[in-house]
Amino acid sequence: MIWTCEQTEQLLTDYLDGLLPAEEQRAFDLHVNSCERCTPLVAGVSRAVANLHSLPELEAPPRLVYNILDATLGPRETVTGWAAMLAWLRGIASPKFAYGSLSFAATFMMIVTASGFNWKKPRVADLAPAAIYRNTNRQVHLAYARGTKYVSDLRVVYEIQSRLRQDNELPTSNEGTVPENNPQKQPGSSDGTNPATPRQQNRANEINSQIQMLAEELPLLSSKLSLVALEGSTPR
Amino acid sequence: MEQDAQLVQQCLLGDGSAWEELVRRHSRRIFNICYRFTGNRTEAEDLSQDVFLRVYRTLASYRSAHGGFATWVTSVTRNLLIDHYRRTKRDRVTDSLDDAMPMVENKESSGRRPDELALLGELSMQVQSALTHLSPELREAVILRDLQQLEYSEIQTVLAVPEGTVKSRINRGRIELARILQQMGVRPS
Repeated sequence: MIWTCEQTEQLLTDYLDGLLPAEEQRAFDLHVNSCERCTPLVAGVSRAVANLHSLPELEAPPRLVYNILDATLGPRETVTGWAAMLAWLRGIASPKFAYGSLSFAATFMMIVTASGFNWKKPRVADLAPAAIYRNTNRQVHLAYARGTKYVSDLRVVYEIQSRLRQDNELPTSNEGTVPENNPQKQPGSSDGTNPATPRQQNRANEINSQIQMLAEELPLLSSKLSLVALEGSTPR
Repeated sequence: MEQDAQLVQQCLLGDGSAWEELVRRHSRRIFNICYRFTGNRTEAEDLSQDVFLRVYRTLASYRSAHGGFATWVTSVTRNLLIDHYRRTKRDRVTDSLDDAMPMVENKESSGRRPDELALLGELSMQVQSALTHLSPELREAVILRDLQQLEYSEIQTVLAVPEGTVKSRINRGRIELARILQQMGVRPS
């Protein structure tokens, strides 16, 4: 099929919109690829169409709708008197308002309860700003003290657990284990990786000192431990 | 489309909320057509308001059998835009493109709000500027096809011309726009 530059120009929109039959599209492509005049034309128009498609859809000014409605339906009437009261009541009955009121009430109750207000024996004096401040301050300090104590207790428990685990993992005797042959180790010298200090050889002393430390921190535990120590030391 | 026809029926029975719904559904699209045609936000806003005033007054003449409500409103918009173009033709300075370009850029920069400048970006402003330099008959065809994505048959109804003419105008409009953009030195996006 013979294709001319005029045909390219006339049918460019059909080509870009994909409306050309397959045979004409092939002829179009063949011509454009070999024509110095049509190649930049097709590329330029394709870019122009892409630029148009990239233009954003603008938001209409918000006042436009109100201006149109005012110009067509007339200015909105202001409701007064009983009608206004009824409209207000209808607004209160809406689910949105009910949800808002409930969440406000729940928040208010939580704050008042946190300030130490007694719901079973309510007193007006408890609602005074100074009393609310004092009670809230007290509650906050109490909560802080409880939290500190809890963290401290946890630390002691973890300390005991880790010490016990360490003791279980420590080998009681080296009997039966075959020492590895270290070529760097010279006779009569230590290899330095596992120094046999007197402190490590005697773990019982260390455990004893740690129990004493813990006993100082926990007086209740210390009394129990001393009892256990007494029982242990008594000859049977 | 059926919902639009139903809203029109409710409107004709005096339902104000149905009219409000119709305005909300179509105002943004009409504002965009007016803005792309005029290139001026204030004029686009005034023209959009005029479109809906005319639609409201002539709502009884709308027949759903003659096409969708959106197409009908677009026709009203197009007629008003052409009227506005003819009315303001004398006020416009028709300089050559080379002289007009720097002036257009200055006008674009000074006449727009900062948020609008940020929104549009340089390329969008150049494409918009090139669009307003097309003749009105080519401009409306390109806007309806490439910005509003209307089908040929819908454009045919809006412009009230045969389909061959619609295709020819879109084709010429695109080629002309590409030529203007090339003269402006716009690089591909």
